Amino acid sequence: MKKQLNWLIPVILGVLFVGLWYLSLSAGWVSPYLLPKPEAVLQEIPNEWDRFSNAIQQTAYASIVGFLAATGGGFVIALILASNRYVKSALYPYVLILQMTPIIVIIPLISIWIGNGIGSITLITFLIGFFPVVANTTAGLTSTDKNLLNLFKMGNASKAQELFALRIPYAMPHFLTGMKIAGTLSPIGALTGDFLLGDSVNGGLGYLLIVFRQAADTTAVFSLGLITCLLGFVFVASVNLIHYFALHQWHDSYNNKDA
Amino acid sequence: MSSSPSIPPIVSFDGVSKQYGDGPLILDDIEMSVNKGEFISLIGPSGCGKSTILKLISGLAPITKGTLTVDGMTPENAREEMAFVFQEPTLLPWKTVEKNVETLLKLRGVSKDRRAGIASQMINLVGLDHAPKHFPRQLSGGMRMRVSIARALSVSPKIILMDEPFGALDEMTRDRLNEDLLEIRAREEFTAFFVTHSVAEAVFLSTRIVVLSANPGRIHEIIEVPFQYPRTEALRDRHDFHDLVIKVSQSLRSVEESAHAARKAAVA
Repeated sequence: MKKQLNWLIPVILGVLFVGLWYLSLSAGWVSPYLLPKPEAVLQEIPNEWDRFSNAIQQTAYASIVGFLAATGGGFVIALILASNRYVKSALYPYVLILQMTPIIVIIPLISIWIGNGIGSITLITFLIGFFPVVANTTAGLTSTDKNLLNLFKMGNASKAQELFALRIPYAMPHFLTGMKIAGTLSPIGALTGDFLLGDSVNGGLGYLLIVFRQAADTTAVFSLGLITCLLGFVFVASVNLIHYFALHQWHDSYNNKDA
Repeated sequence: MSSSPSIPPIVSFDGVSKQYGDGPLILDDIEMSVNKGEFISLIGPSGCGKSTILKLISGLAPITKGTLTVDGMTPENAREEMAFVFQEPTLLPWKTVEKNVETLLKLRGVSKDRRAGIASQMINLVGLDHAPKHFPRQLSGGMRMRVSIARALSVSPKIILMDEPFGALDEMTRDRLNEDLLEIRAREEFTAFFVTHSVAEAVFLSTRIVVLSANPGRIHEIIEVPFQYPRTEALRDRHDFHDLVIKVSQSLRSVEESAHAARKAAVA
């Protein structure tokens, strides 16, 4: 019964929410101009599919490429930072400064230097996603168990052996945590980038949002919101799947009781 | 343990001292020579530097003064002949039991087939033949320690250094592992240095027990253990075993009392 409650409660809450939505429309509390009917929101997606499908492709592309760049680039930056104490103390403050500069300030610069369009949007996605990967992976690479390091020393391990057979695998859970955070940030980054620097001919969901807003098309904005939610969900679910396959056999974050 | 003088000791400490940086003296003027095949237990109050002695032999920490030779070499050069069993099992959590046992062999570049052969032999030796594909987190503390011992044995070391390997285990598991360790030693022939807090464990395992005093660590007394090998659990019930446990305990108590008195004097 307890297990069933786990999914039953959110379902009941959802039904209540949609019920309240309908009620507020039929009772005339809110005008349909401000709050469209749920089925209108759903219908809008096939109706506007041509525009949506192109925009989804653009945003998905920027999310995926930006995410991969953030993950790969973040990993490499972490390797460099963790290679040596002096390198870390020299470079880490600058990585932090880059992270602490609001992206909203960097975006106009990107626009001026590189221009608008998919390349700039991908770069913004990268900039939003790479820091969690760097921070987590660096922490993982520099916190290797001291006894394990001594074990490798006793085995006369070379620096390369120590790095590839010990420090990198030891940092994997940290890296994957960073990757998870980058995964939740990437679709947001792609959407924000597109909202501000989207291409008027070949825009993504962010650009489409501007178009709908200017047309005051509330229904379309709701549909777009639903699509971005689904996109983010698919993205995060995929990343979690990678996390699961990499760690479930051995890591304590997946504690099978039957083990 | 007296042996013919023509055979040099496998480990010899000659006026060895250890100090980390400008810190206090950890070990002072250690004199000790250990022959091949001995089982030496190191016992003493906390802070007496017993773990540090293992670090010096292994070359993980350099000595400050004196000479320390391991099989005629400096500790660092003799590393290939030694294996360390740490206080924690110190396994790679992402590798299975057999891959963990292979770790040191892999670092040495031993071929895949030979590695697998040696690993399965060692896994049998420590009694884990039912669990080669298990991951460390699926094992009990005692089983993890067995993996750690199998890994140390895999490189056929001349010397095994053990730093309180069974300290975290319950008494039954510990007794069982002690018996198994002696059984393995009868077949594999290594010299052992064993740090422990348990007097009974030290008496059961060792040829000699080194009692250390603290601040700085000095050798207080070296006690010979006369019992013949093979030793089985029956030994634990014998009167002469108990007598020796009492003798070692008394030696340890006198050391701890003087350490306590010194601390009191320092406060006053």
